[in-house]
Amino acid sequence: MTTLKRIGLIAAAALLVLAPASVAQVSDYHDIKTPPLRQFQPPQPKRIALANGMVIFLQEDHELPLIRGSARIRGGERDTAAAKAGLTDIYGSAWRTGGTESKTGDQLDEFLESRAARIETNANEDASSINLDVLKGDFDTVLPIFVELLQKPAFRQDKIDLAKTQANTMISRRNDDPQTILVREASKLAFGADSPYARVPEYATIAAITRDDLLAFHKRFVVPNNIVIGFVGDFDSAKMEKKLRDTFGSWKRGADAPAAVTSGTPARPGVYYVSKDDVTQANIAAVHLGGPLRSSPDYPAIAVMNEILSGGFSGRLMNHIRSQMGLAYGVGGGLAVAWDRPSAFNVFMSTKSQSTVEAIDAVKAEVGNLQSKPFTPEELSLAKDTILNRYIFTMDSPSKILNQQLLLEFYHYPADFWQKYPTAIEKVSAADVERVARKYVRPNDLAILVVGNDKEFDKPLSTVGNVTKIDVTIPEPGAAAKKPEAAAATAAPAAPAATTAEGSALASKVRDFVGGKSVVDSIHSTRLVRSATVKTPQGDMEMEIEETLRYPDTQRQVMKTPMGEITVVVGPNAAFMAGPMGTRDLPASQRDAMKAENKLDLLTVLKNIESPAYAFAVGGDEKVGDVSAKVLTVTTEGTTVKWFVDPASGKLLRTVRSGRMGEQSLDYTSWKKSGDLNLPAAFTMTTNGEKSGSGELKSIEINPTLDAKLFEKPAEK
Amino acid sequence: MRPVRKNLWPAVWLLLTLATSSLWAQDLASFEKRITLKKLDNGLTLIVLERPTAPVFSYVTWVNAGSANEVPGITGLAHMFEHMAFKGTDKIGTTNYAAEAVALQKVEDTYAAYDRERRRETGRDAAKVAELEKAWKDAIAEAGKFVQTDEFSKVVDRAGGAGMNAFTASDETVFFYSMPSNRFELWAYLESERFLHPVFREFYKERDVVTEERRMRTESSPVGRLLEQFLATAFIAHPYGFPTVGWPSDLKDFSATDAKNFFHKYYVPSNMVVVVVGDVKAAEALPIMEKYFGRLPKAPQPEPLRTIEPKQNAEKTVVLRETAQPIFLEGFHRPAVTDPDAEVYEVISMLMSNGRTSRLYKSLVRDQKIAAFAQGFNGFPGEKYPSLFTFIAATTKGHTPAEISAAIDEELTALKTTDVTPEELQSVKTRAKAQLLRQLDSNNGLALQLASYQTMFGDWRELFRSVDRIDKVTAADVKRVANVTFIPSNRTIAYIDNSKPAQTAPKPAAEAPAAKGAAK
Repeated sequence: MTTLKRIGLIAAAALLVLAPASVAQVSDYHDIKTPPLRQFQPPQPKRIALANGMVIFLQEDHELPLIRGSARIRGGERDTAAAKAGLTDIYGSAWRTGGTESKTGDQLDEFLESRAARIETNANEDASSINLDVLKGDFDTVLPIFVELLQKPAFRQDKIDLAKTQANTMISRRNDDPQTILVREASKLAFGADSPYARVPEYATIAAITRDDLLAFHKRFVVPNNIVIGFVGDFDSAKMEKKLRDTFGSWKRGADAPAAVTSGTPARPGVYYVSKDDVTQANIAAVHLGGPLRSSPDYPAIAVMNEILSGGFSGRLMNHIRSQMGLAYGVGGGLAVAWDRPSAFNVFMSTKSQSTVEAIDAVKAEVGNLQSKPFTPEELSLAKDTILNRYIFTMDSPSKILNQQLLLEFYHYPADFWQKYPTAIEKVSAADVERVARKYVRPNDLAILVVGNDKEFDKPLSTVGNVTKIDVTIPEPGAAAKKPEAAAATAAPAAPAATTAEGSALASKVRDFVGGKSVVDSIHSTRLVRSATVKTPQGDMEMEIEETLRYPDTQRQVMKTPMGEITVVVGPNAAFMAGPMGTRDLPASQRDAMKAENKLDLLTVLKNIESPAYAFAVGGDEKVGDVSAKVLTVTTEGTTVKWFVDPASGKLLRTVRSGRMGEQSLDYTSWKKSGDLNLPAAFTMTTNGEKSGSGELKSIEINPTLDAKLFEKPAEK
Repeated sequence: MRPVRKNLWPAVWLLLTLATSSLWAQDLASFEKRITLKKLDNGLTLIVLERPTAPVFSYVTWVNAGSANEVPGITGLAHMFEHMAFKGTDKIGTTNYAAEAVALQKVEDTYAAYDRERRRETGRDAAKVAELEKAWKDAIAEAGKFVQTDEFSKVVDRAGGAGMNAFTASDETVFFYSMPSNRFELWAYLESERFLHPVFREFYKERDVVTEERRMRTESSPVGRLLEQFLATAFIAHPYGFPTVGWPSDLKDFSATDAKNFFHKYYVPSNMVVVVVGDVKAAEALPIMEKYFGRLPKAPQPEPLRTIEPKQNAEKTVVLRETAQPIFLEGFHRPAVTDPDAEVYEVISMLMSNGRTSRLYKSLVRDQKIAAFAQGFNGFPGEKYPSLFTFIAATTKGHTPAEISAAIDEELTALKTTDVTPEELQSVKTRAKAQLLRQLDSNNGLALQLASYQTMFGDWRELFRSVDRIDKVTAADVKRVANVTFIPSNRTIAYIDNSKPAQTAPKPAAEAPAAKGAAK
């Protein structure tokens, strides 16, 4: 061996030693070596099945001093009546905000947030859930709330009303954003507008939801055999298991949730158009019903097909329609595969108005290509490599693994479902993908939905196919007249004493405006002081009126006038007047008139919306100032008051009734909150078309302690 | 910022924090042990956090440049470059780079000629414009022959890359994805090549894609239209008033050459931070990163911005007459995130809208039921420079922006006149700490946080220190800051009014930014 060669070898050896620290430069990424991935056995959660059917998963994770828990409960919107669409929205919200038997929702807020703890509830189409997230030191004080919400929720009416306000707001805003319209209407086309998987709440269906409905839903579904619970975090599993067994072990079983319902009647193939003129883009969807469940042996091949069509930035849709044609920012889709319910094939995109038809053609071509353009070996291997190499990210944290197990249990799938998935993907061949594409994708059955401004489209939509226009106008509460029960009322105008759906919805709206059912119902007495100016033949007279009402039927008015103080009491046991001229019983006619008036007092009416003794019907529209008000006729025992209501807010603008002094109308010019109750703070009065006075609220006491003597006729002197 | 604290020895700092809030000090200490920071000779900052839970890692490349670094004429360019960073390199995405480079130069030359003619203010010759446009389009078609579309993304996808994306905001441009740990070297190669040899191929097609993004996020969205008008009104001088996605005229006009110039000016190693979090060992990872990222050429740090937003002296109101339901926005100028009062603003934002015990929720949502949601938040549209404390609320059905405005006003008056109670303040502080803790549980989340703080403050430890500063905020601080900030002459209001229908449907003229961050 020559010296030269030896030096060379030493140098080479030195380089070898240096190699780990000094990385060899590559110029082609194919030359970069991929070491085998470290063997990784993700820790599986402990599964505990209680005798009552509840299944608990425990997953320890000691990285951070946190504990998170989640209970998922079978039963959701698809198990409720269409006439109460939106029930689970209200339920999911009021479950938590409405508090428990022992604490109001507001008290829970203070208790939890001061500990940086969170408990939230939710409900969707097939499940409700309650989640907890807490610093581990607070777990034992917070868990009882989680349990009480599960077992003894209160659904207080004020928070139901709040949830309804929010739900109505969502309805009012649902046509503002074109993508919201697209997703909603595409679902209706795919599953049928009557399907529980596509239907949407309306004002009337929200108004129809009652507290009893929520309690019934809870009672029906929240039973241990419908619940799967998981906890992950910094705890000891053995101790946690004991704690949870002690807590939930004695809970009684109930009925199992029903199996998934099927879809409705999908739309016919064709073009559907929603007009929206405040946009510069057309939003486009192409859908048809029909994907198998995840339990299908076709699922792995479908996953590969979806990856080829729309995986990441390199799928066919992105590659052709975005990168090569520059037609869209967002485009994607695929054949949805659900756990237990019908699903759809769908493609979504948006493009400038001027390339709408060009884009639709491009989407249709890509869908057709799934059946006509062979899947290349390059496409197949890219899709499979992507799915397999990315598989590690489905289990890279303890909480992800826990959630996987929780879902498998929830939908009654085998626990090793995901373990078998990579092998199944490896086996997928081009022939398999072609087969599922032919089996499930139906290019000729697509319903194509376009939301946009057709005045700016490149070509008329009719060049694509038969166009059906979709009217997305939001039915105002009044429009519920189309419903059968209201139609009956319209057909028989001679019987106004029948409450219409529209009428009771509008009355409820007013009640919401005033504070909501629970607030209104919680009031048993009020004391109001008003100042008033009343027109008299002698000129304006100032007075102060103190009005004490003991619901349902007793009233005391004290009027302080320049001429002295007059007290009037009307109740079931007495009806008298007391003043400078002494005390005397009211004449029967006046007594009865005042009693009738009391029955139409604002709060009395609002307490009786559900009462068969009261009837609510909606007449026409009338202007009050700038507002187009709905006229609500309230009738009880033959007397009537007309309420002029702002249909948007439920604000009572005017009341009109015929009484002792002719037709008297009150315009409420301002409202004031005291506590949770919202009452008229100022009004002007018109009698027989002439302004006759005005007044304002000076003070109000809710549920004051009342001396029974107030309503008793003083002994004669 | 805070030079005094920065000069403290870390150990002294640790002792101090241990005394006040041990949990957080422990976290900081535990992160100190697991974090390695290395500044390369070219000025690039590398951070590695070992977190060996599963054999994966996430990375973030944080570029300290965003739309605030633009000037009129090139608005939207920072975001445009973000898109170009997915178009490949001289080795990935081409069948023949040498030929492609020549073709791409021809695209630029023909575009310059065409653009010059079409923008001519007088004496423009339509026939000549058409002819030049054709030459440009022909050149694009020629260059397109060498392109392997989306090849860069395919390489990442095939290797198991997950969550590949990027965003551009006023202050920064950020790139990220996650990968199995055994692909670390491939990642280091790809990520460094992307900034070492970027090729601006398919630029003009991608410009169309970005224009579609603008149509989607801004023009066809009522909130997008409102935000754009709000920022353009609130800032009269500072580039925070520009929409990140760009004005339509600029999007229609700027060139790959403009993008290249922007890239060379701002994508310099000293202006970038690369953070890796996950199942990697610093001792093995850093040499690989150094090898690949060390190749980025050293270049001068870009000059700091000159323009400072002048003090606002007039209250401003913008009304969008639309058919959409009302949205209400109001913003008050506030100092940059490096200001000593930054944490006071953070406390105010939590007092106002963190959770159901917050003031805006209780008043506007729960009790008055006039808002579907109401939020107050800091640092819009950015934080690096003096910015806006912003309130946003959506009316409930039947209620008006005026009611929202009055109700927020009432809460601001309360902040200015009444001391926040010790219980309320303590609750906020407890939640601020827990909020930080909850952000520490994912590779991707950690990488974003560390990169953000390292860039903004020059030290990732500020992530933990800022929570300690929140702990020191007093009721008097809140009152003082509220009194200087929430005053009418410092306010810009913008809202959608649907009570009177618009005379004409809003046209592309009403443009807005891609809120904070436009994802690729």
